[in-house]
Amino acid sequence: MLTALILLPVVAAIVVAVIPSKRGEIHLPLGIALSMLPLALAGYLFWVFEPLPGYQQTVDAVWYEPWGISWSLGIDGISLPMVVLTALLVPITLGASTSITKRTKEFVVFVLLLEAGMLGAFLALDLFLFFVFFEAILIPMYFIIGIWGGERRIYASIKFFIYTALGSALMLAAIIGLAFSYSSEFGSTSFALADLMEVTLDAGTERWFFAAFALAFAIKVPLFPLHTWLPDAHVEAPTAGSVLLAAVLLKLGTYGLLRFNLALFPEASVDAVPIMATVAVVGIIYGAVVAIVQPDLKKLVAYSSVSHLGFIVLGTFALTSGGLQGAVIQNVNHGLTTGALFLLVGMLYDRRHTKAIADFGGLQKVMPLYAGFFLFMTFASIGLPGLNGFVGEFLVLVGSYASLPVFAIIASFGVVLAAIYLLWAYERVFTGVPDKEENLALQDLSTREIGLLAPLAILVVVIGLFPSILLDKIGPSTEAVLDHIESTTDYTTPDPGRLDDVFTAGGDS
Amino acid sequence: METPDVAWLAIAPDLALALAAAVVLLVEVQWKPATRALGWITAGGLFVATGLAVVQWFIAADAVAARSFSELSAFSGMILMDGYAIFGRFALLAVTALGVASGWQFFKDLGRRGAEGLALVLLATTGFSIMVSSNNLIMLFLGLEVGSIALYVLAGLTREDKKADEAAIKYFLMGSFASAIFVYGVALIYAGTRQLTILGIGDFLGSFIVGSPGVILVGIGLVVVGLGFKVSAAPFHTWAPDVYQGAPAGIVGYLAGVAKVAGFAALARILLTAVDDFDWSFLPVVAALAVLSMLLGSVMALVQSDVRRMLAYSGVAHAGFILTGVAGFSVDGILFYLAVYSVQLVGAFAVVAAVSGSSGSTSDIGLYRGLSRRSPVLAGSLTVLLLGMAGLPLTSGFVAKFGVFADAWFNGYQWLVVVAVVASVIAFAFYLRIIVIMYMEDDEAAPVAVSTTVRWVLGIAVLATLLWGILPASLLNIVADALPL
Repeated sequence: MLTALILLPVVAAIVVAVIPSKRGEIHLPLGIALSMLPLALAGYLFWVFEPLPGYQQTVDAVWYEPWGISWSLGIDGISLPMVVLTALLVPITLGASTSITKRTKEFVVFVLLLEAGMLGAFLALDLFLFFVFFEAILIPMYFIIGIWGGERRIYASIKFFIYTALGSALMLAAIIGLAFSYSSEFGSTSFALADLMEVTLDAGTERWFFAAFALAFAIKVPLFPLHTWLPDAHVEAPTAGSVLLAAVLLKLGTYGLLRFNLALFPEASVDAVPIMATVAVVGIIYGAVVAIVQPDLKKLVAYSSVSHLGFIVLGTFALTSGGLQGAVIQNVNHGLTTGALFLLVGMLYDRRHTKAIADFGGLQKVMPLYAGFFLFMTFASIGLPGLNGFVGEFLVLVGSYASLPVFAIIASFGVVLAAIYLLWAYERVFTGVPDKEENLALQDLSTREIGLLAPLAILVVVIGLFPSILLDKIGPSTEAVLDHIESTTDYTTPDPGRLDDVFTAGGDS
Repeated sequence: METPDVAWLAIAPDLALALAAAVVLLVEVQWKPATRALGWITAGGLFVATGLAVVQWFIAADAVAARSFSELSAFSGMILMDGYAIFGRFALLAVTALGVASGWQFFKDLGRRGAEGLALVLLATTGFSIMVSSNNLIMLFLGLEVGSIALYVLAGLTREDKKADEAAIKYFLMGSFASAIFVYGVALIYAGTRQLTILGIGDFLGSFIVGSPGVILVGIGLVVVGLGFKVSAAPFHTWAPDVYQGAPAGIVGYLAGVAKVAGFAALARILLTAVDDFDWSFLPVVAALAVLSMLLGSVMALVQSDVRRMLAYSGVAHAGFILTGVAGFSVDGILFYLAVYSVQLVGAFAVVAAVSGSSGSTSDIGLYRGLSRRSPVLAGSLTVLLLGMAGLPLTSGFVAKFGVFADAWFNGYQWLVVVAVVASVIAFAFYLRIIVIMYMEDDEAAPVAVSTTVRWVLGIAVLATLLWGILPASLLNIVADALPL
């Protein structure tokens, strides 16, 4: 089943690729239609997912025996939301790419291949396989930015590629090292996550490996000060690229920290909490402050990503139930709201071919529907209660307050700053009198565009009002992560930090 | 009179190649047929040689598993028919077939001299084939020289082209210098061990306390230097960029591919079976050469504006990666890497030849501007091959790099692996540069025509790159049997 989920986009890409370019207009609709298949499958997986710890729907096929590598896939509460999010966003981003007129076919092919790579990375349970997907994703994304991007696209695409490749290269060395430690301890070679979690490492080695993994993921997230590739990539990428980059690719970083760093190097993770939390909080504040002064709407959203992803990392390294659950659900939330904001910016750019805030003003009057959606997503991103952002940020802050009170307090300023930069941007773009001639004739959202935004908006409300739909499925898996850390180190979660505390207390009484 | 025990099978593929070379020349003298006919003879020779190598592979399978010296050696232990030799031969034959096919236009354009070109190719492959299968250092040297001299001539086959002449002379001078160093090294090893066979040296060093280690040490060092020239490992790489750039485009892929396969096969055999028991391990020296090659190759490739020079420096970097495998004692890793890389190299040069014209001597990167529009086949193939050389996952290049890196780590060279992964990232930059030019910049220049043979070569090279990248077991299982005695 999971194999099919990865192969479906590949097959779809091949189908699109074999249709001759002369039939230019058919590739995009066909790509959208075909990308519904993985979405349906992902929806089914979500439906049948049992809220239990451990992996479900596992697939395990030997790839090359002597090296101990295998095609090993599985889904749990941490990867499930990301898989669904990925499958959902691909048709939406394709639908938002009607402005791409040159080489449409290749574009659709690359987006579908990107989808296969992203799904594979979230599903892989073998480190070799994970690395393959993690690195392979760079290729389609590189082409998407480099061919269909803005003016400085080539610079941005190469910077993106080299930056991320450098991080993952050191991770590769650490993966080999980990497999070596496994083989010296157990006598056979394996790259399976479950096997490598059994390895006992001496403290120094574990820290080096943790650092190599963390560097790879920190570049991907990106954490301050490794974020410099992100604004370039985001600004230059076409809308579809920005959306997938923000909503899914960056999540590979936060997902990787949670899935691999915490699981493989529990001791070093516990030791690294102060460092990671500091970096996360600096990122939250720095991203927000820089976002305030951005003159470019897309860059503003890009820096807001740096800030928001800081919350996810803070939640991860809070090492409490709330923190971890908040991190996972915030992965989804950020994907939905930032994805939607990038879509909105892209729609504006399609009309006006500028993203500079100063070029707009009073759009509320001209494009009321557009302004409505923008405000809605802004509120979701700020974390207005009742919308999804609130759930995630609240959980992260509560969770990290239990273990890292000082960091949580500083981080909460990030929420305030988010309100400032987003609402101020809204004010400058949408309120007032439309005084620029060019803006008066702007069309409001078309039915197609509403159709693209509506699913995201609905999910924003649903997750905001009924977070338990997701949290019930996430919870057991994040608890398992904490259990693993507590059983392998002398770390104990601070008192109100575990969900179990509440349940056990209730059971005892 | 006692007839010597001649195991003809051990050299049957080489005989077939040499015979084909002779037939090509004789037919040319007698009938002066169209080059196409000579091409078919060449193809026939390669086909028969490959068939015989396959026969060797299956006949030797049991003996290989039993590692029986008596069954696998021929001509009083001069020639070995172990899996290593046969696999090396497979790689050489594949490179030759792909190389001739991709440079077919070049041989046709040579007119009456085409026969000489084809015969030289067949002779070069014969020499290198003997080189990878010989157990005796003198025999190995003879094979090396037969192959190298044929290559020097090939590089200068277009006599009218000044640049090719220069390249050929440079190649000849540097190459013969390297051969001399090599043979001096062999002499010193003989002086120190009284042995000329690789296995004999291994036994000697493994079982006796060596009286004059200094002589052997210098000998091994000189052998490494000599072969280092052939495989263009830094700092012995200086000839490569000039030769790759100056020699006719149609032949460079072959020239570079066979030299690397044969050179590394011989180097690895000597270092890993002859002198591996020596008191002074040579692996630190190999590791140092690897670091120098990887970093120098990658960095120098960044600043080239000619695609052929870029590929030459990338070849230096690849020599470094393969040396990482030598330091990791990774025989299967090296063989896999050689097979994978040589196929990619020949494929990449097939594109270069198509873009610059068969005997054209400029491959300025500007020629590739907008190639994706002008010739999607060439651009697409070159992209896959370059990504393969860069070692991106899902291509064979990744598996190859992973193999040698993992073995190097397991053999205690952790620091070398870290350097190697960083060097691979530097290398990404120049591979990407070519892809950028092809895909992200537009140019209105004329489309580039692609002949059917070149299409076939590219198809095979791309397919191999992807197949061995996605299902590496298809080649790794074969390589696992191809260990030296």
